Amino acid sequence: MPDLSAPSISYLGLAPVLIVLGAACIGVLVEAFVPRHLRWNAQVSLALLGTVGALAAVILVAGRNELTAARAVAVDGAALFIEGTIAALGALSILMFAERALDPAKSAFVASAALPVGSSADRKLATAPYSQTEVFPLASFAIGGMMLFAASNNLLVMFVALEVLSLPLYLICGMARRRRLLSQESAVKYFLLGSFASAFFLYGLALIYGYSGTVDLGEIREVAARSGASDALFVTGLALLIVGLLFKAGIAPFHAWTPDVYQGAPTAVTALMASCTKVAAFGAILRLLYVGFGTSEWTWRPLIYTIAIVSMVVGAILGITQTDVKRMLAYSSIAHAGFLLVGVIALGDAATAGRGLSSTLFYLLTYGLTTVGGFAVVTLVRDGDGEATHLSKWAGLASRSPLTAAVMTLFLLGLAGLPLTSGFTGKFAVFRAAIDDGAWPLVVVALLASAIAAFFYLRLVVLMYFSAPAEDGPTVGVPGLPTTIVLAVTAAATVILGLAPGAVLDLAEQAAVLVG
Amino acid sequence: MSHAAVLAADVVSSGEAGAFWVLGPIALAGAIGMVLSRNAIHSALWLVLTMLSLGGFYFVQQAPFLGAVQIIVYTGAIMILFLFVLMLVGRDYSDSIVETLRGQRVAAILLGIGFAGLVGGLIADATSGVESVGLAESNADGGNVAAIARLLFTDYLLAFELTSALLITAAVGAMILAHIEHESGSRPGQKEQSIARIKGPRPQTLTGPGVFARGNSVAAPALLPDGSVAEDSRATGMKMRQPPAIASGSIDDLDDVTVDSGANRDGVPT
Repeated sequence: MPDLSAPSISYLGLAPVLIVLGAACIGVLVEAFVPRHLRWNAQVSLALLGTVGALAAVILVAGRNELTAARAVAVDGAALFIEGTIAALGALSILMFAERALDPAKSAFVASAALPVGSSADRKLATAPYSQTEVFPLASFAIGGMMLFAASNNLLVMFVALEVLSLPLYLICGMARRRRLLSQESAVKYFLLGSFASAFFLYGLALIYGYSGTVDLGEIREVAARSGASDALFVTGLALLIVGLLFKAGIAPFHAWTPDVYQGAPTAVTALMASCTKVAAFGAILRLLYVGFGTSEWTWRPLIYTIAIVSMVVGAILGITQTDVKRMLAYSSIAHAGFLLVGVIALGDAATAGRGLSSTLFYLLTYGLTTVGGFAVVTLVRDGDGEATHLSKWAGLASRSPLTAAVMTLFLLGLAGLPLTSGFTGKFAVFRAAIDDGAWPLVVVALLASAIAAFFYLRLVVLMYFSAPAEDGPTVGVPGLPTTIVLAVTAAATVILGLAPGAVLDLAEQAAVLVG
Repeated sequence: MSHAAVLAADVVSSGEAGAFWVLGPIALAGAIGMVLSRNAIHSALWLVLTMLSLGGFYFVQQAPFLGAVQIIVYTGAIMILFLFVLMLVGRDYSDSIVETLRGQRVAAILLGIGFAGLVGGLIADATSGVESVGLAESNADGGNVAAIARLLFTDYLLAFELTSALLITAAVGAMILAHIEHESGSRPGQKEQSIARIKGPRPQTLTGPGVFARGNSVAAPALLPDGSVAEDSRATGMKMRQPPAIASGSIDDLDDVTVDSGANRDGVPT
């Protein structure tokens, strides 16, 4: 038997992922050995250290273009931009996890997840001042998995990363302190449907391997270019892979889990899922379609084109019928996933190469920041049962707390894509790239969907400002330092990226490099 | 693996084809049986059949390592864990017959068959007439096990290492969902319980259940020499049977005892 030579690994290139996963591993040890009264602070600082450290590492390695660990992971502009975005949004979500001031029990997470809901022990612990601090290492694992998911140049690593990001999310979805049954139901739904989607991805992976004899995205592209892409194995495999990814990104018609899970999960976890998971899934979609299947564009372009339309229309129209703020934001995320697919379509042409990619990267950043902000405001509006998410409860909020209503209005305008907000810049960039690419019918649909979606965002604004406040309306909590930081950062980003997006757009432009 | 087998690897022999036609229907029957069984234990056992057949397939296709792993890990470990869980949760859980979405079952069956037909047909179409290649070379250098080891520690090193994150998450998750942390001092430990028992009025163990010619269930109380029931032999949380009336001793009385409602015969907790 010949000697084995271990593959060379660029630890610097992998540093962002390794830092987050390392922080998660240390977090598990902290959980085991640190006494309970010290755990919360230790876990929060560790998780923040991991995500912020990863962001710093991304800035440090920016500019590298290489494949490492036997071509398994790409370290290139797009991967680093997405890793940085996930690290930043992840840090903001961790800050929301760490909020102590809003809930009277000092945390949004349950004290003991193993206790049956409503048992006497559970009721006794309902106001206990401690909670399951495992959520922090689990969130770190999820964030690390997301970063690797978007950077993997190999279908097998992509699949394992998909599981690494999903499994912790399934768990932390079910760990809300209030409305535990709803939270557990959302976790079970997400778990069952997520496993189903993973199975689709795995099936597609097997068929693509059967077709090409490799799981490496670059080699798949070469095989597809050599032999033509009309093979049934190839088309079926690609379709199944796309189904798995569309599920994770919450794109219609694979969106059915999104509203229920977004509503049931603790709001901080919803913010993590709505921002980071979406960014990671789109990172993987971009890499899969352009690195792996870039030469066989005409097999997937019509599919993505149709799905973009379906997702925009479903998200915008069903969003109107919602009566719950979290569900409304969930449908908004489905519509935004459709807008992002418009950017994915726009990457195809050689003449505009890069513009579709850079505009999608920029849109992901703006959308993620605005959505985290929106969910942060949702955590503030509370009544006796926890967060008051029914729309009727939000009536006349502006007279109770003008500042909260103003901040929420800013985020809603950003999501609607009104000028002078980051949402407008992002949409403009994506739509312009699509028009340059000749996909103007898609842009027309996207504009109509934006207009429909703007209706339900603005309806909430009208409700907050022009309705009489409800008699037994909710109170607006005074956020502690973590949520204040989140709100300040996301609100500032929504304004700045709307007024002066030049620097970040340039950064996205430079980052629009895919190797493989 | 023998040298001759390696040389002949690229040809599908008649033995291999025969094994396929024997194992294939068995695997399929197991899969169908698993879906159709009402009893969860039966489902699990059907699945064992499918997995064993899959292990057989791997052996036939000259992947002995994969075949052994399939049987040891999947059939041996994972399915047995399944059975443990089913036994712990209770084996008589039947399907809910309430459809929350009308027509869901029919739609699911039709779409499932349609999807299976589509994918199966496409794969059959794509693989018919394809010559198998590459088996000889991938098994050439030290055989199957060495080839897998080489791939695991070179090309797929990162995927292999990454699964550790998955395993840690799974372990932490199991702890979160199953482990209840008790405040220290909130309930007596083993030591406190022993001390309390020794200090209490009754340091010795409680009387066991009665053992009679026609029943030794825990639900049968023990009798004292005078024929009365030993009260401390009654088990808690369980409906006790009538003691056999030995003192008054007629055969009819004994029958009354043993032919009580079937549900209680095994001391099912009430």
